[in-house]
Amino acid sequence: MSDPSEKTPPPPVLLGVESVSRSFGGIQALWQVSLQVRPGTIHSVIGPNGAGKTTLFNVITGAYKPDSGRILYRGEEVQGRKVHELVRLGMARTFQNVELFGSMSVLENVLVGQHVRTRCGFLGAVGRWPWVKREEAEARRKGMELLEFVGLEEFASQRSEDLPFGWQRFLEIARALATAPRLLLLDEPASGLNAVETERLGDLLERIRKEGITLILVEHDMSLTMGISDAILVLHQGKKLAEGTPREIQSNDAVIAAYLGSER
Amino acid sequence: MRQFTFAAAILALGLTVSQSYHLQLLTFIGIHTLLALGLNMLMGYAGQISLGHAAFYGLGAYGTGILTVHWGFSPWAGLPLTLALTFVVAFLVALPMLKLSGYYLGMGTLGFGMIAFVVFREWSSLTGGDSGLVGIPALDVGGVSLSSGKAGYFLVWACVLLAFFACERVVDSRVGRALRAIHDSERAAAAMGIDTSRLKVWVFVFSALLASLAGFLYAHLVTFISPNSFDFLVSVRIVTMVVIGGMASIWGSLLGAAVLTILPEWLHVFTDYEMVVYGLILMTIMIFLPQGLTRGILDIHERSKRKDTAASSAPRS
Amino acid sequence: MLQEVLQYFFSGVTNGAIYAVIALGFTMLFGTTGLINFAQGEFVMLGALGLITLWKGLDLPLWLAFVLSTAGVAATGLLLERLAIRTVRKPHPIVLVIITIGASILLKGIAMLAWGKDARSAPPFSRHPPLEVAGATLLSQSIWIIVIVVLVVLALQAFYRKSLTGKAMQACAINQKAALLIGIPSERMTLLAFALSAGMGGIGGILVAPVTMSSYDMGMLLGLKGFCAAMLGGLGSSWGAVLGGMLLGILEALGVGLFSSSLKDAIAFFLLLGILYLRPSGILGEKAVHRF
Repeated sequence: MSDPSEKTPPPPVLLGVESVSRSFGGIQALWQVSLQVRPGTIHSVIGPNGAGKTTLFNVITGAYKPDSGRILYRGEEVQGRKVHELVRLGMARTFQNVELFGSMSVLENVLVGQHVRTRCGFLGAVGRWPWVKREEAEARRKGMELLEFVGLEEFASQRSEDLPFGWQRFLEIARALATAPRLLLLDEPASGLNAVETERLGDLLERIRKEGITLILVEHDMSLTMGISDAILVLHQGKKLAEGTPREIQSNDAVIAAYLGSER
Repeated sequence: MRQFTFAAAILALGLTVSQSYHLQLLTFIGIHTLLALGLNMLMGYAGQISLGHAAFYGLGAYGTGILTVHWGFSPWAGLPLTLALTFVVAFLVALPMLKLSGYYLGMGTLGFGMIAFVVFREWSSLTGGDSGLVGIPALDVGGVSLSSGKAGYFLVWACVLLAFFACERVVDSRVGRALRAIHDSERAAAAMGIDTSRLKVWVFVFSALLASLAGFLYAHLVTFISPNSFDFLVSVRIVTMVVIGGMASIWGSLLGAAVLTILPEWLHVFTDYEMVVYGLILMTIMIFLPQGLTRGILDIHERSKRKDTAASSAPRS
Repeated sequence: MLQEVLQYFFSGVTNGAIYAVIALGFTMLFGTTGLINFAQGEFVMLGALGLITLWKGLDLPLWLAFVLSTAGVAATGLLLERLAIRTVRKPHPIVLVIITIGASILLKGIAMLAWGKDARSAPPFSRHPPLEVAGATLLSQSIWIIVIVVLVVLALQAFYRKSLTGKAMQACAINQKAALLIGIPSERMTLLAFALSAGMGGIGGILVAPVTMSSYDMGMLLGLKGFCAAMLGGLGSSWGAVLGGMLLGILEALGVGLFSSSLKDAIAFFLLLGILYLRPSGILGEKAVHRF
């Protein structure tokens, strides 16, 4: 995996969310939420169901437009940009319920992930000029590398929907990594995973961070987030309740009352 | 390799079949295969329905027909012009249309198809109206006519072979994977950085071009065209070929085209009951094999294989 | 000139009322089941030919022929749902579309066997003299058509507003899963929607029988135009269907009268494309529905 821009010095803040609000027909899903993510960190967003986590996630990744507020990615305003443009800029995501391309093979899923980093079009596909063949071979090599990275290389030619659920999650992460992101957003990556798989996931996320990729997790599973996060944002009813290191969050009274106390 | 077998089969069939009725039937299967193949790229791979594909088929036929009959162009000069016209029209139609999804897209293309049909019928100074456009010249190469019997057969099937070749390559490429991704999950495809609306426009144009090519061949083979060959029911028939053959299956297009070309011929024996039987067959296939014949037969085959190895096989989710 | 326009307007309203009933059938089915039935036009054809046979062929009184014909078409709709639509296990929309197209071919074939290929016609419902309004004439059949369509619309509104079944049906339209959860049998609602929407098509056919020649192949174009009307007003909206039908009828009549008759059949589809480009949800429809 390579970071597409080594030359420019990393900005102090990779992603800045500045007092973003978003409502859905009378329901205020997000109210003036701000968030600063420094490069190379793992940032988690937690909160009870309906706290606005997924809305925040969708606003950042371009699926929704915020009603007000700004989203800065590497110093550039990106709110309201189309999803596919953000991917080109280096933002990748996974889905809460895993959305693989079910009819395609495991390797093909990862190849689709490289869409924005390759360029063969209709004419190239029909002509199969030498550069197209080279590009394809390179993409396959990279794809296999990524599958190895998440531990799925043996299943490269299997239909992706035939994989067990836990492996589908890892495949989805590999597919997102294939877009060569700087920032990877994971929507409840641990949901549906058993304890062993969750541990493997934590390990994988650490390794992804070591590659220089910044991570944002929206999570329910406290054991995972507390263990690996550098910073945690707690949302409650669409508003920021607390922000800080895992240790600070664990001892925050408001958090304990609103979230930890009521849920576990 | 498969391409070679296919080419050999085409060659063998062309050399052995001599009865002109059979040759004609095979030639029409070829033309319909082109239509189905194009639409399958749109429906099967990109998951977008078009209920107006006969419009592009007609555009190809009338385009070359008008150029050659009224303006004295040679067919070979007419071909690029006709394709260019189709390209422009398809692009302009697709641009706003593909923002729609599902039924709405189906309806938009249906509306376009009906308008094209009315134009073919009513612009009689150019199209000859209801009585049709007559006297379209046959294709020829250096004085040798390509439009009768065997020559026509080989011409059409050479085009089919090329189209197969092109489609197989497209499907197994970056573009093809992106199309299949849109079909599986448009949301996830966008999250992979695929500009889904742009890609849909291009695949629409691609499939329109294939339909237009089919129309071009049809016009010069039959040398007479009338609006009824391009009406709503023809659009429906193309969709049916794709679905019956099997969506997202290139070889299914061939199967679907063959079935829907031979079936009506065969149904002539039912005379007045023809429509009843045709409707029933269509419904039955869709009810029992909603994945189309190719997939359906494969499924049945797999199921029987699985039964044999049921004891040893691992549970599948 | 004004007189002429008024005359076109009258004929537009007459046709529009018929498009409106057909559109209501589309809308009702789509609202409840999310399905578009391409055999809707054949129900119109069956209604028309059924009426002609029962009324003129068997000499039944008009009201009885009306009721029996409508009921017969509704029963056909019921059969279609039972035998074809429900049996599909994985109902991909394209598959359902093709099944209804197959049904349409089948019904057309049956009608051809039953009634032959010749076109038939029915006399007007009554022999009242035409009404003179500002120099333009309004035929008694037009008045019949408009009155009956108004009655149908009112009855439908009452059904949706007042009856429990009607409310349940609307609940299905809003959210089928939720409706199922609170105990509304969505299967029965689907069945009912099919019967009602087929019956609506049948009424459209009955009304159109005295106005044009009826034959086994009349259904497709009427069905497609009714569909355009439904889209114009907004699929899923009953008032939208009425509005769309009227608008289509009037614009078509004016277009034919003032410009050229050769493009008559294209007008509906130009309107369809126009509305899809400008406002896919239709004039009265809710904001962009993504249902597939």
